[in-house]
Amino acid sequence: MSLLDRARAVHAHRRVLWLLVRRDLKVRYAGSVLGYLWTVLDPLMMTGVYWFVFAVVFHRRGVGEQPYIVFLVLGLLSWQWFSATVTDTSRALTSEARLVRSTRLPREIWVIKVVGSKGVEFLFSLPVVALFMVIYRIAPSWEIVLLPLAIVLQAILLTGIGLLLAATTVLVRDLQRVVRIGLRVGFYMSPIIYSISDIPHHALRRLFALNPMTGIVELYRSLAFPDAFAGWGVVGVSAAICVAVLLWGASVFRRLESPVLKEL
Amino acid sequence: MAAAQVSPLSGSDDSPVIQADGLGIEFLRNRRYRLSLREMLLQGRMTTPKGSFWALRDVSFAVRPGEAVGLVGANGQGKSTLLKLIAGVLVPDEGTVRVRGGVAPLIELTGGFVGDLTARDNIWLTAGLHGLTKAQIEERFDEIVAFAEVGDFLDTPFRHFSSGMQVRLGFSVVTTLDEPVVLVDEVLAVGDQRFREKCYTRMEQLVSGGRTLFLVSHSEKDLKRFCTRGLYLQGGRLVKDGPIDDVVTQYNDDQKKKS
Repeated sequence: MSLLDRARAVHAHRRVLWLLVRRDLKVRYAGSVLGYLWTVLDPLMMTGVYWFVFAVVFHRRGVGEQPYIVFLVLGLLSWQWFSATVTDTSRALTSEARLVRSTRLPREIWVIKVVGSKGVEFLFSLPVVALFMVIYRIAPSWEIVLLPLAIVLQAILLTGIGLLLAATTVLVRDLQRVVRIGLRVGFYMSPIIYSISDIPHHALRRLFALNPMTGIVELYRSLAFPDAFAGWGVVGVSAAICVAVLLWGASVFRRLESPVLKEL
Repeated sequence: MAAAQVSPLSGSDDSPVIQADGLGIEFLRNRRYRLSLREMLLQGRMTTPKGSFWALRDVSFAVRPGEAVGLVGANGQGKSTLLKLIAGVLVPDEGTVRVRGGVAPLIELTGGFVGDLTARDNIWLTAGLHGLTKAQIEERFDEIVAFAEVGDFLDTPFRHFSSGMQVRLGFSVVTTLDEPVVLVDEVLAVGDQRFREKCYTRMEQLVSGGRTLFLVSHSEKDLKRFCTRGLYLQGGRLVKDGPIDDVVTQYNDDQKKKS
């Protein structure tokens, strides 16, 4: 089956996909007392910690935009979606092995539903941004209409990475450890707690622009800091890389499907 | 290598519902693949390591609508593997298997259930996963609950269910599906005597209602009760395809010779 056929098969099962996303959210909120608050608390605490370290302890006024806390929360929320999805997709097939073995749904669904349910949690956490913008009296710029574009790009990127990891981790279990380390490195190597314009050398900045998260985070931030927007070049590079990663992931997933199913 | 894929069959009413042509699947003797990450990521495939064996090879047969087929064979001869290939949860390395319409797999019955959710939520989920629409689930919900005899525990988290209750619920959901082909893998061996009888009755209803049945069992009684035709697998090859009584007799003779 070609990639196009696989995409069609997934589309034909979108109802099941939605069902699985809802199940994930239900399971997440079923057994916990604080429920929805966790979605908000985690990034809030991290924002608080980074704000304390950089703005209070180091007095770094030069990094990022002011108010720094709004700048931080936009980056951190999107990174949280990224890292939670990458962690979960890398075990998407193993953790649902019993279901994968008993239904004949297109196997891509198990990856896409993780991207979806984590994406919904991301959307649920956006009111935090609104709260901070109200507190600091920042009116959203017209760039807020770019929010859906940023979300779509991030979903494409995550699906690509997820497909790649879900299939390969079944065959090489050690990869899950590599993923954990990679995410920690990735956090500091992506412009989350700083901005790409803070990077000293032009050549180095170009290198950072190759990180697809750079363009995506720039888009998110443009809704509060339109003047600091790094430009469409960065976003274009991100978009191209996101699509390339998706195609790569989908083709690896398709070709590894048979050995993966035997291993489950 | 022939195109290995599962695709729907189309055709008139009497054309086969299951058609297998030269079906083969290769497994590894040792559990681990020889790991070559570079190969996996760049070429998206892996060289076949040494020490692999064919769990099934050159298996061809056709099943017509309404037939009840029993799979016979000793342990490890490829029966469950064949069932999984038909169910589409394994992908063949050689040949093709095509199924017209969908299958209701009575394999890993409790696979779709989530321990933390209530039985009610779980019924909705599993039925939905197997392709029932909201209206269809609403319509059949009471029947599913009644058959599984879990009416008093609808709002109990599934993990508090006894294993018997879990299987009952699974059986009840999957057998209410409309799929024309029903695949059964040894699940009849579970549950207490009374419930087993109930399952048998439902299976008979399914067969007499025109469904196609594919049964894996070691019980001669079950095979003869439900099936008219037998497939005998030995060492991953189809060695006999005929009336169930003949197939069971040959299988028993072979077993006696060995012991």
